[in-house]
Amino acid sequence: MRRLTPEELSARKKRNLAIAGALVVFIVLVFGVTVLNLKRNLDARAEAIAAGEPVGYAQ
Amino acid sequence: MTEPAAPAISTAQPEDFFQLLKPRVMSLVIFTAVTGLVVAKGDLDWISSAIAILCIAVGAGAAGALNMALEGETDALMRRTRGRPVAAGRVRKNDAMTFGVILSIFSVMLLGMATNWLAGGLLLLTILYYAVFYTLLLKRRTPQNIVIGGAAGAFPPVIGWAAATGQAPWQAWLLFLIIFLWTPPHSWALALYSAGDYAKAGIPMMPVARGAKSTRLQILLYTLVFVPVAIAPGLTGMGGYVYLGVSIVGGLGFLLLAFRLWRSRAGDQPDKAEAVGREAALYDVRAEAKPARNLFAFSILYLMALFAALLVESFTAVPGL
Repeated sequence: MRRLTPEELSARKKRNLAIAGALVVFIVLVFGVTVLNLKRNLDARAEAIAAGEPVGYAQ
Repeated sequence: MTEPAAPAISTAQPEDFFQLLKPRVMSLVIFTAVTGLVVAKGDLDWISSAIAILCIAVGAGAAGALNMALEGETDALMRRTRGRPVAAGRVRKNDAMTFGVILSIFSVMLLGMATNWLAGGLLLLTILYYAVFYTLLLKRRTPQNIVIGGAAGAFPPVIGWAAATGQAPWQAWLLFLIIFLWTPPHSWALALYSAGDYAKAGIPMMPVARGAKSTRLQILLYTLVFVPVAIAPGLTGMGGYVYLGVSIVGGLGFLLLAFRLWRSRAGDQPDKAEAVGREAALYDVRAEAKPARNLFAFSILYLMALFAALLVESFTAVPGL
């Protein structure tokens, strides 16, 4: 197996960093979306309780 | 016995992968999707809205990457596209394909989770429509390729609308129709002064398949249908007086340019249009082709102005008919 050239090594390092950055952004986005969905569901539950509607397993 | 040399690893830069997303097309997608999302007046919070726009942009970019992966050999034959990452050999076909598939999956899933599955489904449909239906099936088979395939570029405002409200009512489809009918005159105007390239690549674009004269007539006919549709939001309560003014004045300009193009000889000698080389030189053409270049440039401006007017009115509550 031949040694990688400096150009190949440099390109690979940049790609790896870009992939790492994209993964971090993706994780943050999924986390944010999950929190927002939880909040929406809790708000909907609170509204249902305030309106006297059955919630959770009582439905 | 000597071992065969191991294949060199890719030297593609992150910038090359960004170019696979067709950033210029993506900017138009973002703009029209934002308009759909804002005009819909849904109750989506701003974080989810931002994530939705990001997903639509990345999904559209993924479709572009799949298109470039599938069209590498063809792109290499045309001056306008031969600098693209796959065509120029900077990114391998399989890498571009993998990149496109992964981004497609992530963007559709995230859009569905962040907003609703109607929006996610429409984004998936758009990607499949462009990458499979248009690129693989339509493009090489019929001169109507751009007419039918234009639907892919028309989906973003509908996806934006669906993301905001969970619905896709007729107003969203009116925005779809505007872009759908705008695409043929826009694309054929460009094709008129780069027909030589399309012929070399074996793509039956209208000027190649039916000739420049027929293309100029069809551009005029499509414009006659497109302009009333572009004005329609101003007459249906969707747009206000600003939109109505922009759409009528711009529409008349569009008609005038299409009429001038019809009367011209643009595209009659496509092989002499040597000035059209790099993508950056799209507007640099010989005198004879200028009516086509003018319509191409104005069409972009007009579409942007229409959507900008709708956006402005959404924030300022301009009255209408």
